[in-house]
Amino acid sequence: MREILKITIALTVSCLAAGLVIGTTFIFTAKAKQQNEHLNVQQTMFGLLGYGKHRPAPPELRLYSVYRYIVEQDDAMRMGYLVPVRKGSGEGYAFVVLDLKGRFLESHDLALTAEEALSAEDRKKALLPELKASAEIAFADTMIIACMGGERTAYLLPGEFPGFKTFIKAMVALDPQFHILGLEVIEHEEDPGLGGEITQDYFKNQFVGKSFEKLKKLTVIKEPLPDDYKRYLETMGIEEGGLSAREVGQIQKHYQDKDIYALTGATISSAAVTNGVVGMAKKFAYRIRILDRAVDTGQVPVLF
Amino acid sequence: MPATTKTNTQLVVNGLLNENPIFRLALSMCPAVGISTTVANGLLLGVAVLFVQVFSSCTISLIKDHIHPRIRIPTYTLTIATWVTVIDLVLAAFLPVAYKAMGIFVRLIVAFAIITMRLEVFACRNTVVASFWDGIGMGFGFMFGMVALGAVREVLGMGTFLGYDVLGFRPMLFFVLPAAGFFLVGFMMAVFNYVETVYNRRAKRGL
Repeated sequence: MREILKITIALTVSCLAAGLVIGTTFIFTAKAKQQNEHLNVQQTMFGLLGYGKHRPAPPELRLYSVYRYIVEQDDAMRMGYLVPVRKGSGEGYAFVVLDLKGRFLESHDLALTAEEALSAEDRKKALLPELKASAEIAFADTMIIACMGGERTAYLLPGEFPGFKTFIKAMVALDPQFHILGLEVIEHEEDPGLGGEITQDYFKNQFVGKSFEKLKKLTVIKEPLPDDYKRYLETMGIEEGGLSAREVGQIQKHYQDKDIYALTGATISSAAVTNGVVGMAKKFAYRIRILDRAVDTGQVPVLF
Repeated sequence: MPATTKTNTQLVVNGLLNENPIFRLALSMCPAVGISTTVANGLLLGVAVLFVQVFSSCTISLIKDHIHPRIRIPTYTLTIATWVTVIDLVLAAFLPVAYKAMGIFVRLIVAFAIITMRLEVFACRNTVVASFWDGIGMGFGFMFGMVALGAVREVLGMGTFLGYDVLGFRPMLFFVLPAAGFFLVGFMMAVFNYVETVYNRRAKRGL
């Protein structure tokens, strides 16, 4: 009996000590980590739009975030979109509520600054007083609309989907016709050397240029990646890639409607990414059409 | 096993050659085989293991007198997990570039047999200084094994070295797959054993 007690106490104390160490480290690192992540996402977004070190983003480029919420009120499910709107001469935020069929129900003006809109907690704080007391809201996801001079140039969709081991965080860029502009893997825990290769250019650039029609039935094929295609994928976006414009044109034409070549030894990871990207793009295309229609009906002065 | 009588240099050499984690102790084979597909992967995992091994060894040798003998293993696992988490958080916060390259490797380490085994066999019986050097030796030994495996597999499997194309073609794609990793570990073990036999024979003749 004394032995058991001793062991219990020893284990408890060790766990507490370990928890204390980890907790302290977390407190000291959380802020910097969040900042890095934010910076990382920002860089990823500009990278997907084709801007980087050598090509700075033009000043008229604006990125508008739309936050999607699920609203439960009076035993009915509704969709809520937190959208940036024109407010007088400045910019503000509104919450557009739709029913499940996509019909416009109501729109609330929110007292929310641009800085507060970045934090999930502040958003919720601004949202709750606008809705009925019985309403419950749950954040679903974010979509980012890139605009240049009042015209939409691209959609950026951050999201996550199940991979081989755990969730893969990624961002997909679509053009206004929902063709894929690019894919970036933000965080994953696939096996290095196998599924971890999903971050390589020769894999993720295969998605670039796939049309929305093709996307609907995109799958993976278990064939070795042809050499000329691989060279093209790896030099994509580099000015001096070594491929002539004619070669690029030929390769693009040849592989435009091909499926995704699976990674050697990592078919499951490859298929997971493909399905994830397809799912994200398809759902988004459906949602943005509904949102556009609802915003029109409700005369919401959205910025995008 | 009583406390070690080896000098610090001997401890490091011991980890690199006599008790090389991969080729002599045959520990942590899953990650070794799964990840040593390229030199860069091997090197990064090696660095990650080195840090966790050294920190964990030092911690355990510091608190060795207070560990209840019946919960040694849980305590080791807890220590390793704590260090892995701490390194992961610190890298993410202050070295984002290193985190991007090494993040997935660090998180993989928690269940590595080699680290638990060194804590059980060495760190809980020796001083902090000896444990530190043993950790260094084991860490570098693991790194050496991973890089050696990675070099052969990358050149033969993908025709590249450190990502640069050296052969211009892929001689044997088979070497990238895990099965070839096992094959290669066996082959290198044989080389190690052969060198040892020859060395011992010569040493005997010298006597």
